[in-house]
Amino acid sequence: MATHVQESHAPSAAPMRRGRKRNVRAPQPGRLPGQRWYTPYLFSLPALILFGVFFAWPAVTAIQLSFFKWDAISQPIFVGLDNFARLASDDRFWTGLGNSLLFLVGMFPLLVVIPLLLAVLLNQKLPGIKTFRMLYYLPVVTSMVAVGVAWEYVFNQQGVLNWILTGFGILDQPIQYLLDPVWALPALVLVEGWKSMGVFMMVYLAGLQTIPTNLYEAAKVDGASAWHRLRHITVPLIVPYIAVTLTMEMLEAMQVFTSVYVMTQGGPQDSTLTLGYYIWSAAFQKYDMGYASAMGLVLWILLVLMALANYRITKGRTVTP
Amino acid sequence: MTPKLAFWLRRAGMYVLLTAIALVFVGPFLILLSAAFKPAGQAVFSFPPDIIPRPPVLTWVKEAWTTIPYLSYLLNSVIYVGVMVPAHIIVSALCAYPLAQANFRGKNLIFFAILSTMFLPGEVMLLPRFLVVSQLGMADTYAGVILPGLLSAFGIFLLRQTFAGVPREVIDAARTDGCHELRIFWHVMLPAARPTLAILGIFGFISVWNSFIWPMVVLKDSAMYPIALGISYLAGVTGTDVRSLAAGTVISILPVVIFFMIMQRHVLEGMRGAVKG
Repeated sequence: MATHVQESHAPSAAPMRRGRKRNVRAPQPGRLPGQRWYTPYLFSLPALILFGVFFAWPAVTAIQLSFFKWDAISQPIFVGLDNFARLASDDRFWTGLGNSLLFLVGMFPLLVVIPLLLAVLLNQKLPGIKTFRMLYYLPVVTSMVAVGVAWEYVFNQQGVLNWILTGFGILDQPIQYLLDPVWALPALVLVEGWKSMGVFMMVYLAGLQTIPTNLYEAAKVDGASAWHRLRHITVPLIVPYIAVTLTMEMLEAMQVFTSVYVMTQGGPQDSTLTLGYYIWSAAFQKYDMGYASAMGLVLWILLVLMALANYRITKGRTVTP
Repeated sequence: MTPKLAFWLRRAGMYVLLTAIALVFVGPFLILLSAAFKPAGQAVFSFPPDIIPRPPVLTWVKEAWTTIPYLSYLLNSVIYVGVMVPAHIIVSALCAYPLAQANFRGKNLIFFAILSTMFLPGEVMLLPRFLVVSQLGMADTYAGVILPGLLSAFGIFLLRQTFAGVPREVIDAARTDGCHELRIFWHVMLPAARPTLAILGIFGFISVWNSFIWPMVVLKDSAMYPIALGISYLAGVTGTDVRSLAAGTVISILPVVIFFMIMQRHVLEGMRGAVKG
């Protein structure tokens, strides 16, 4: 059950510490008369079985498969590191990687910067503000298939976007965004960003509500402008949340698949071929299982490296009031 | 300008800004809605856009409804939500209870094993997980769609934090009254975690209702498709009128949007719990 928030991993330390402290205080930690030693294991058993079968086993399978050539029907053939060697000379792999990185860069303002501004806007005390919060969150609630259909009406040659852009004289003639090798990728970045913006906005909103309001009042008394308050109070105090959104953005951008599948199938001319889509198509269209696994492994390593880098960059910059 | 006037002007300006941004988020859905109810004679695409259907018709809703087996797709989604959401919550809560309140060998190992599932990217797991599911003979079955979705680090995580906040005295009192662990779990822990359960219910409903990739990979037989996957089938039917595609899409998202509107006041609280800890 993949929800967006699942990808955040900020709260790991706090509850554990709390748990330990309590156990130190209790005379017989966590064990009481009548409770057998195996009771805790029985409770975790369903989760552990699911973990073993649907996470650990597939993960091992993926690593194994990346050393084989296999079409899903005949006997797998051991090929050593061939799949990885093939990656190096596969232009489409590099195109996919490049496009995924373009998503990463393109979605940064949409998911890390703009949602912060929206959250500041939605954090005011105004009648009806909750309705606006809900409206901004609406794209998150709907499926990517539905979102894809909805945006086709925006991107159509006779669609709203062309009407606005030609109306303001920005464009001389309408563009067929999803059929144009130059514009298809930016169009998908826009859709992906628009779809997830609500989640990121809510993360920031949750963060903003932890900032004591008297900080803002004091700043106002000192004559600080709205911009100064944003720059010198909000942003520094929201840094831990920026670390969270940054990690979420990386994970999301590097795995873009559904929007590509629904709207462009990687085209035109591979201009929207992302790593996620290429892996899927190698596995489920070409039945090139070993090669798909090898690519998956590379993506996996990339994501772990990015998460680590992000952790190092943002670590220690947590500001306390 | 009096201060009072300035206040109202500022406020009006704020609403104009908020509404303009809201249009960006809701706009594409409004166009979809408009297309779904436009009569055949009225163009879907035009300069300038012609949004109001004149008169609104139900033709396309009917057509979408009959082109694909809508009712059975909806029913499938109801089954998936009805089974997966409670089962996911129970599995997570069962595992979270000892992690939060008991001390036992391997506790940290279990916790970190489950935590590590968050780092396995979905697209990477798609293929190996599909292979495992077919080895188990669960390809093309409801079980194949449902079972892998029952474990989430997110659920275990959130509930573990909530359970850790339940005072030990309450649990001990129940124990001295002769409650066995399962009863304590059911009658003490779960009621104490009600707000967290609501959040998991909301997020679970949304993500299961919209699930698309995994069912597509597991299921060959379209009779078991959930609705989100079902409409992609409608999109693929050649000769489908854009209006009927729009209508089909509207039908598919309506239940989840309504559900969300009813439950939305819990969402921000849930986010706060999920991120801050």
